[in-house]
Amino acid sequence: MACVSRVDGNAKPKSMSRAKQWTGEVENLYRFQQAGYRDELEYKQVKQVERIDRWPETGFVKKLQRRDNTFYYYNRKRECDDRDVHKVKVYTY
Amino acid sequence: MPAFEPFPGLKASLFSLLQVVGPPLAGAFRERPAKPTAFRKFYERGDFPIALEHDGKGNRIAWKVEIEKLDYHHYLPLFFDGLCETVHPYQFFARQGVHDMLEHGGAKILPVIPQLIIPIKNALNTRNRKVICTTLKVLQHLVVSADMVGEALVPYYRQILPILNIFKNMNINSGDGIDYSQQKRENIGDLIQETLEVFECYGGEDAFINIKYMVPTYESCLLK
Repeated sequence: MACVSRVDGNAKPKSMSRAKQWTGEVENLYRFQQAGYRDELEYKQVKQVERIDRWPETGFVKKLQRRDNTFYYYNRKRECDDRDVHKVKVYTY
Repeated sequence: MPAFEPFPGLKASLFSLLQVVGPPLAGAFRERPAKPTAFRKFYERGDFPIALEHDGKGNRIAWKVEIEKLDYHHYLPLFFDGLCETVHPYQFFARQGVHDMLEHGGAKILPVIPQLIIPIKNALNTRNRKVICTTLKVLQHLVVSADMVGEALVPYYRQILPILNIFKNMNINSGDGIDYSQQKRENIGDLIQETLEVFECYGGEDAFINIKYMVPTYESCLLK
């Protein structure tokens, strides 16, 4: 999995693979990609924000602003079904 | 000796004339289509800050304004009013909009409860199976969405529980078959039981007695 927090804010990904099984990180990547971003790093680059709204219990992303400035809200619980896990892209920096 | 019958066949024809017919149906289960909702009017005027997005999984709502900044007194009753809708996209927007607003409303939900009762009652009174199932799931979500909401609903049980009393025994007797509606949470009888149990768990001390008054066949899930 990509170690997003230790990478320079303007870095580009070197490679991409598909997720094999569901984890919390895959769930968050699914949510970012639903909103039109690669991952948390690109979201912070584009939107120039420091923190992302997350659900306190699960740590999943709660709210994202899309590129057209509309908002996507996500559930407390898992939204990425097993059949969608293989569609989630995991970027390596 | 056989009994003497002066007019053979008369007894049989009299019986056929005197057949007792049952009373006419009262229509308790007959669907009553809802009148056009305020939700549809506002949606077509473009007053809602929402847009429909199609993704790979189906549909999703994109909010043009952050939900936290919305006036819940104005919007939440309107979205609840849309629960009566059965046509796409109104039905989808109402359901998903209510879900999002309850999920992210927090303390803003409690003061709006009195304004939600009439839309809830209207949705249940349609007697439409899908609308009732949706409304029951919304009620369960409402009760757990914020503190004290369950207790705030207790005074309104007399307005929303009578219709549940009518449909409470609507369970399919499928013998040893599989009832897939149970898995999909679309079996009305089971949903009503589930909803009443949630009401009792979150409604405080007076919840059970008030539920029992309106739904006499309900048994407590806490006092066993």
